[in-house]
Amino acid sequence: MSVNGGGDGAELSAEQCKIEYIPGKLPVPPHLQPTVSVLAAVIEASHASTLIRKLNKIAPLENLRHVKRIRKKRLDGGKYELSLILCLASETDGQLGGIPTDVLEFIKEYQLSSFVAKVCKYAALTKEEWDEQCKLWPTSYHPPTYNIAGITGFSEDDTRSIVDFMKYAADLARSSDNRVVNAAVIVDPSTKQVISSACDQVFSWTTAESNINIEKNGLDPNTSLNCPGTFESKEHTKLPSSASSDPGSFSNCVSCLHPWRWAEQEFGESSESWHPLRHAAMVAIEYSANQDRLLFPNDGHSGAEIILEECVSFPSTESPSKRQKTSLNNVEDGENHELRARSSDSVRPYLCTGYDIFFVWEPCIMCAMALVHQRVRRIFFALPNKTAGALGSVHRLQGETSLNHHFAVFRVSLPEELLNFDSKNSRNLLGSSD
Amino acid sequence: MASCVEEIVPESIAYMKLALDQAKLALDSLEVPVGCVIVEEGKIIAHGRNRTNETRNATRHAEMEAIDVLLEQWQKLGLSKADVAKKFSNCTLYVTCEPCIMCAGSLSILGIKQIYFGCANDRFGGCGSILSLHSSIGDQTKCFKCEGGIMTTEAISLLRTFYEQGNPNAPKPHRPLNQ
Repeated sequence: MSVNGGGDGAELSAEQCKIEYIPGKLPVPPHLQPTVSVLAAVIEASHASTLIRKLNKIAPLENLRHVKRIRKKRLDGGKYELSLILCLASETDGQLGGIPTDVLEFIKEYQLSSFVAKVCKYAALTKEEWDEQCKLWPTSYHPPTYNIAGITGFSEDDTRSIVDFMKYAADLARSSDNRVVNAAVIVDPSTKQVISSACDQVFSWTTAESNINIEKNGLDPNTSLNCPGTFESKEHTKLPSSASSDPGSFSNCVSCLHPWRWAEQEFGESSESWHPLRHAAMVAIEYSANQDRLLFPNDGHSGAEIILEECVSFPSTESPSKRQKTSLNNVEDGENHELRARSSDSVRPYLCTGYDIFFVWEPCIMCAMALVHQRVRRIFFALPNKTAGALGSVHRLQGETSLNHHFAVFRVSLPEELLNFDSKNSRNLLGSSD
Repeated sequence: MASCVEEIVPESIAYMKLALDQAKLALDSLEVPVGCVIVEEGKIIAHGRNRTNETRNATRHAEMEAIDVLLEQWQKLGLSKADVAKKFSNCTLYVTCEPCIMCAGSLSILGIKQIYFGCANDRFGGCGSILSLHSSIGDQTKCFKCEGGIMTTEAISLLRTFYEQGNPNAPKPHRPLNQ
């Protein structure tokens, strides 16, 4: 291969760079999906709506929002039989073990005879899973990242652009003296422009005021990835050159790999500011927000939408109608944001809706959740983070269905030369990936 | 879910009231009403409230605001990283709503001693509702004590007020609201 590490004009063929989709849960054969037992009862069709309303109040199905409360089964004579889920069944003993008193009274009041049924524990992510689920008990199917481009594969053009941004991130991560840090690059894929970029600033960071720099930050429509030098900006952290010279510990400066090590003395005290939480992602989000405020100083519409989105739902004392609305939001979230991001009447995006972010290392849980809050659409990283990675390694945040925003996660495998941070250690780094 | 088994001491109520005051400030500024205070040896050393709308940075939760205040203060005083870590390990956070996954992760990174929260956060909660980052197993992760259910009603009622009052700047809904 004639690729030189971090070189700009290097042409990469698609075969050299594998982009792998990292789904929300480890793949399971559709017929082996985990199930839970529920207590159900056959009911009269005429009572259905009353019963559901009452049950939703006394025994909402907390963690089974994908499961339909009622099953309609066609009987031999052409008639239909309706069954209603009463509550979760205790897994240990049989029938009336841990049934809440409210539900017991309910059963008595309507003279129901209950039976135990199995339902699938998690929402289906594919049509195949859904088909299998419905054989047990009907569920709803809302592929959370259905509309996100790339899950089914990337075109050659997209691949090239993804690889270019990943190289850009790798160059950035390498750029601070002799420490290796993580880098985050937020990109608008529709224009292929860098919105903001940052390195870890846990050990040193510049003050907020000096970071706001629109001209240099790539929002100028004339700049594009073809001239990455243009994005060189002040926000780029200058780490002190007094860094640890021990080659064995060089990657310890990657904040997301070792989030708890910020207080260790081996990194030395610096005269500059430091901040245990200024991981690359957090800083890149801050920069993009700063820019947004500068570019659209009087635009109130962002605030209004955050209010709708950034909500905290109420505990289960809440009325069922509110709850339903909440879950509706969840379901339609992906599509709406896609649409909003593309709609012509708003040039300005809502937070980072529709944007991609590129990391050298898989982010930690704090950073990954920050990206949920800020509505990033796709996350690309090159190297997995076995100690603290939140997108498949330790946690798998993209599989948490309760969140109100879902991103798609990809791992980009680049040729070794491109991730060559330190000739002595690159092998270790890449070794962990296989 | 972190449940409230121990008896709630009057002290906790007093601190939570101050956190609720912060949440009210957020409400007055059309922010999601969540507020917090950080206490060290019985003394309130920082407070914060949600600023996500104002900053257009959805990570600016109450906890992050209060943490930043402390980090700045302590660095101005010339404290070393080790000093700061030691200080955090003596701090208790009172927050009106269960910290989200991001904030719970942050609190673990800082090594806070203990937190008390009001209502649970069953969409984003990182202290028992969705993930349990306060008690995560692992060699390196730092655990912290966690107790919920302090003045839950007040915390929820603020949130409810917020969602009911709606927002004058709100855009047209993209789809009709279901009743």
